[in-house]
Amino acid sequence: MTSTSIDTARARPAAGTLARVRTTRLQAIGEPNLWALGGALAFGCVMVVGFLLLVLWNGVTTFWPRPVVVVTTTDGARLAGEPFRSEVYRPGPEVLATLDEATRRRIAAAGGLAGRDLYRTGNFDVYSEDFRWVSDYAVASTAMPSGLMFVERLEWGPFIGTIRGVTVDGRAMPELKDDPRALAAAHDVARARWRQIRHIERDLIGDVNHELEAERLNVRRVALRYGDGTPEHVAALARFAERETALQADYARLAADAQGLKETDGHTQITLAEIGGAEKTINLSAVVRMYPANDLGVAQKLGVYLSRWGEFVSDEPREANTEGGVLPAIFGTFVMTLLLVVVVAPFGVVTALYLREYARQGRLVSIVRISVNNLAGVPSIVYGVFGLGFFAYVLGGGIDSLFFPERLPNPTFGTGGILWAALTLALLTVPVVIVATEEALAAVPRSMREGSLACGASKWQTIRRIVLPRAMPGIMTGVILAMARGAGEVAPLMLVGVVKLAPDLPLDGYFPYFHLERSFMHLGFHIFDVGFQSRNSEAGKPMVFVTTLLLIGLVFAMNISAVVIRNRLKRKFAGSQF
Amino acid sequence: MATTDRAEGPAGIPRRRKDTRRSVIIVDRIADWTVTVGGLLVIIAVFGIMAFLAQVVVPLFTGGHVESRVSYVLPIHDGGTLMVSTDEYRTVGLKLGRSGAVLPFHLPSGRALSPLSLDLAGGTVTAFGRTPRREDVVLGFADGTLRFGKVRTTAEVLPADRVPAGLARIDDRDRTDGTSVYAQVPGNQVRKVTPEATLDAPIRIADDAGAIVALDYRIGGTVERPTRSFVAVDDKGTVRIGTAESRMNMMTRQVRTTTRTATLPALPAGTRVETVLMTEKADQVYVGDARGMIHRYDVRDFASPMLAESVDLLRGEALTSLYFLNGEASLVVGGGKGTTAVYFRLQQANARSTDGFTLVRAHTLAPHPAAVTAIGASQRTKMFVTGDAAGGVLVRHSTSERTLLRLASEGGRPIVAALLTPRDDGVLAVDADGRAVFWHIEVPHPETTLGTIFGKVWYEGYSGPTYTWQSSSGTDSFEPKLSLVPLIFGTIKATLYSLLFAVPVAMLAAIYTSEFVHHRVRAVVKPTMEMMASLPSVVLGFIAALILAPLVETWIAAVLLAFFAVPLSLFAGAHLWQLLPGDTARRLGGLPKLAAMFVVLGLGLILSWWLGAAFEAAFFGGSFKAWVNRDLGTGTPFLFLMLLPVSFLAVLAVANRTVGRNLADAVRALPPGVVDLLRWLATLAAAAALAFVAAELLTTLGFDPRGAVVDTYVQRNTLVVGFAMGFAVIPIVYTIAEDALSAVPEHLRAASLACGATPWQTAVAVILPTAASGVFAAVMVGMGRAVGETMIVVMAAGNTAILDWNVFNGLRALSANIAVELPEAVKDETLYRMLFLAALTLFVMTFVINTVAEVIRQRFRRRAVQL
Repeated sequence: MTSTSIDTARARPAAGTLARVRTTRLQAIGEPNLWALGGALAFGCVMVVGFLLLVLWNGVTTFWPRPVVVVTTTDGARLAGEPFRSEVYRPGPEVLATLDEATRRRIAAAGGLAGRDLYRTGNFDVYSEDFRWVSDYAVASTAMPSGLMFVERLEWGPFIGTIRGVTVDGRAMPELKDDPRALAAAHDVARARWRQIRHIERDLIGDVNHELEAERLNVRRVALRYGDGTPEHVAALARFAERETALQADYARLAADAQGLKETDGHTQITLAEIGGAEKTINLSAVVRMYPANDLGVAQKLGVYLSRWGEFVSDEPREANTEGGVLPAIFGTFVMTLLLVVVVAPFGVVTALYLREYARQGRLVSIVRISVNNLAGVPSIVYGVFGLGFFAYVLGGGIDSLFFPERLPNPTFGTGGILWAALTLALLTVPVVIVATEEALAAVPRSMREGSLACGASKWQTIRRIVLPRAMPGIMTGVILAMARGAGEVAPLMLVGVVKLAPDLPLDGYFPYFHLERSFMHLGFHIFDVGFQSRNSEAGKPMVFVTTLLLIGLVFAMNISAVVIRNRLKRKFAGSQF
Repeated sequence: MATTDRAEGPAGIPRRRKDTRRSVIIVDRIADWTVTVGGLLVIIAVFGIMAFLAQVVVPLFTGGHVESRVSYVLPIHDGGTLMVSTDEYRTVGLKLGRSGAVLPFHLPSGRALSPLSLDLAGGTVTAFGRTPRREDVVLGFADGTLRFGKVRTTAEVLPADRVPAGLARIDDRDRTDGTSVYAQVPGNQVRKVTPEATLDAPIRIADDAGAIVALDYRIGGTVERPTRSFVAVDDKGTVRIGTAESRMNMMTRQVRTTTRTATLPALPAGTRVETVLMTEKADQVYVGDARGMIHRYDVRDFASPMLAESVDLLRGEALTSLYFLNGEASLVVGGGKGTTAVYFRLQQANARSTDGFTLVRAHTLAPHPAAVTAIGASQRTKMFVTGDAAGGVLVRHSTSERTLLRLASEGGRPIVAALLTPRDDGVLAVDADGRAVFWHIEVPHPETTLGTIFGKVWYEGYSGPTYTWQSSSGTDSFEPKLSLVPLIFGTIKATLYSLLFAVPVAMLAAIYTSEFVHHRVRAVVKPTMEMMASLPSVVLGFIAALILAPLVETWIAAVLLAFFAVPLSLFAGAHLWQLLPGDTARRLGGLPKLAAMFVVLGLGLILSWWLGAAFEAAFFGGSFKAWVNRDLGTGTPFLFLMLLPVSFLAVLAVANRTVGRNLADAVRALPPGVVDLLRWLATLAAAAALAFVAAELLTTLGFDPRGAVVDTYVQRNTLVVGFAMGFAVIPIVYTIAEDALSAVPEHLRAASLACGATPWQTAVAVILPTAASGVFAAVMVGMGRAVGETMIVVMAAGNTAILDWNVFNGLRALSANIAVELPEAVKDETLYRMLFLAALTLFVMTFVINTVAEVIRQRFRRRAVQL
């Protein structure tokens, strides 16, 4: 057999004795096998690192303003767009049939493959498409002319083209076209006006509607309690009529205000022209952001980049969630995770305390322990089903008929909502906390408990003053890991109250301020929704990547902080053990 | 309790008071209680999940029950019952007699309302036909004429203040003015139900028509311009179909009816027609004769109808009743000995009919003890009710072949009419003495049994029993097909393929991490791999479906090649590494070697990307997708690839036993590394040759992998799902397996190495067997995760509920199905409960897997401690 000699009798023994030759067969070292093992490890690492880099790269670069390229194709058509991505594809026979001989031969030489670029052309209202593929062989020339504007709009997605004219307050002001600073000023004024309109329409008129609805419910409540036609009911009706008149007047006034502002706003417009010359006039206030794509310096690009990030984390979504920000989703995720902790931490810790400190260690406890471990492996969707059936329908339905009969048959708590979502996830993550806490409690030396009890402390005093503080790092770790798991779960939430667009946040200025029954938005669901349910998944993809980056960042931050906290607290208590 | 020790010391010295403050004790008590109650509460909650799911599921299997039963006697001096009907709200029943008398009665109490009648103008009714909704009727007369009519109730909802005064109370809900019934409905409103009966002028269908003996009737067209189709059989045995189209003259507001008839091919001589039926679209006519033969006419072409087939449906038994199920594709046949069966038309290659269809007996239901005398079909499901000559009434469901309720009318007289109320919540049966029994029934889930959920079911129009999941569709007469088998199959398929990918990677990586790397490298590598576990699965699903799936589709050949190129380049790397001098190899054995592995891995990937097109051209005729579709090539190339690893191992084993040792002695001249490299290459060549020969052999034997594990390529397929799921499963298996391997006591490792074993020998022969149970538990936990994974399969698996092992096709898993369908399911309906059953199934699957893992793991822990 092939063999290599390892240490072949290096230490020569005294003359006369026969040196034992110790050889190892090459196969015993199993080098190829080791490489298979190591290759698997390398593959795993490449998977993780590659995945993270993919998300990081796409997420970080999405908001960076790209140049707008004007492509002239071989058939003379021109298009202007942001180069989005390139790929190699296999042109089908019907495509090949339309090409000339030289191109066909070139493609055949490349193994039937050809390259193509995806351009984001915008102007959906003009072209009825956002993106266009251009095959490499169809490109005659490309250029990056200056003066092309990239205009982000409230509706119809971006517009790519040139500014033809600007009208401010009904007066044509052609000079603004070439004066970016003045244009920006006019734009700021228009945007401020737009925000004011939004404030009136949403906040002020929303207040009126809320009050009206409250009054209506009040009448219904009275009718339910005292019966139709009773004096109480009549009185409530009279009061309602009076309030309604007042509120209607408020409403009319506010609506008139908004209408007036809208009319003023309609006099400030911008006329844009796409590359083919088609013009489009829109209100200047409907422009979110515009910049000359090919004339930006690095600093200006950075400005656009930061402004987009700012909008992303602080604004509401628009365009069916594919543009704008994700503030409601961040907020929903945050509030839900907070609720989750409020529920999961005490229950998890109490259960672990019971199992470790109170229950007699026996067969029952070990069965319970196995079950808890087991439950950590129950699919999350099963918890979602349970949450919907039990929390929302049984518990929520009960709460509705007891406390909100005036709103029936519209459910209040009897449908998915943030409270039920948090409870569902709490159930899902409670094994994590129990296991972590139990381990932490087990790690507190018995001697410390005995010492405390011997000093006359009661059992609870021992637990509170001696055991719990020492177990705190483990408990914190468990809770944070539970949060991380909860924040990343989506499947159960789809059943218990997450929605693609929540009209109201779970926290607002109306009594009782916390609205636990409301449905909410969630970063994870946002990814699913934009990636899979939107009109054009390509248009939503950048948004999905940024949201993904945010979500992964959040989950990783929690995981890392769990580790950091554990280490810090461990160090803190390291010296105090005896 | 305050434990105060007031006892004086022996010498009268007062002892120190050892009081515990009351507050401390109270707090302690409260803590005791809170912790115990809280702890138990969580445990109860945790077990409550299973109980709750089961409790929602149970009603699926409980059949139905009778809420209430009333019986009353209806007058029978009307020449015999032709039809009974009810309104949608179980308020008013109508009984139509042969004399033209229409008797309305209050359904829950039997109280008679003022009778109506159809003016027959002295004619003698000899035949009767109705639409399935029991609202439109046609009467056939002895003189060969027909009269269309309506016998029905109309309902309108009135505000409470428009209800006339002076109504007589019937029960808590209903009041009457003698003609109509006023029912209280929620929202302070009243529903008024009024019976109504009208009859049109007679129509003569043919000049030579004799007395009509059998009739059926359907209404099509629009409300303004209805088309009435009918089929009539006269006493000479002539079958005629006809359409009567009514058109209103806008000027005179007169209704003109034009009738067109056609005579169907003659029945065999001597046939005595009992009953006749026609389908809704008036394209099929079924004539049943007294001997039990069914003659089916194909009348799609009105001008040239043909007799498609004559079949003996009851195999010699007399045919006593015949009617359509909802949708009018299935026929319920009742026989003289109580046999009840369901037939429908099926297109068959060897059909003995003239139109290519045959009637097949799809379901045979529990028989009645006596002749079946009445059939009433549901208007919304495949439920129906049958009455027999001994007064027995059965409520059943055709597809599930289930008898839901066994009811009996008192007196044992033959049932002459039976019906299911329009909402399937009541049964009315009238016997020959006019005794009517009304049962208020509750049958929420007639279509589900263990057999329909887990077994094959023959659905209407299907060529045979199948496992099908299809919960919704656009049409009204659609029947939900709820078999969990395709979903369980989908879950198993996703799990299996993802484990095939994930387990080897995770396991090998775990062994390497635990046994062959420096602990400092391990401190970096292990958290990196564990980081994978915290990637939210929605992100994995998104990347898999929108980024990976299109990429894999474009580069499918390269991806397939990678499965071979990567291991081969690693092995090649290892053999090249062996060429290094022993000292150098030892010096570089740590980090540099790992780095080299990364490089070789990268090279393997690049190589497969590079050679992908060439590989595709050489193996799959240039287009892999065309190849899997069987458009070109044979199965040999793929078989060759599948057999390659097997034959490599086989060749290796044979070579080791025969030439291995001798070879080494023979080539002492060369360095061992070179010899090993040559040996490896030779083995590879031999393996390739062996695999090729075997593949060719299998191909000539007619074996082709296409149609089994590989078939038509779909973009979102199991290959992609398996890879994405790898991200979820690998870290779990890796961590647990690595922990188990590291937990093997150090002295075993030391002893093995001290005895001269190499690290590889130690790992394989000592560490791995010791940790085997822990490693196995790791695989089980990974499997549990794969079974329950939801978002990846929702997004990347295509969600088609199919039963095939094709790795290039999608699947629909239990979890994905729940996530997709439950938000739309209505609470407490069949689909809702079925999805809970799906959840319970998942729960049980993972529970079993995890318990096995847990038990094995505990055994491993004990063993590790013993060692």
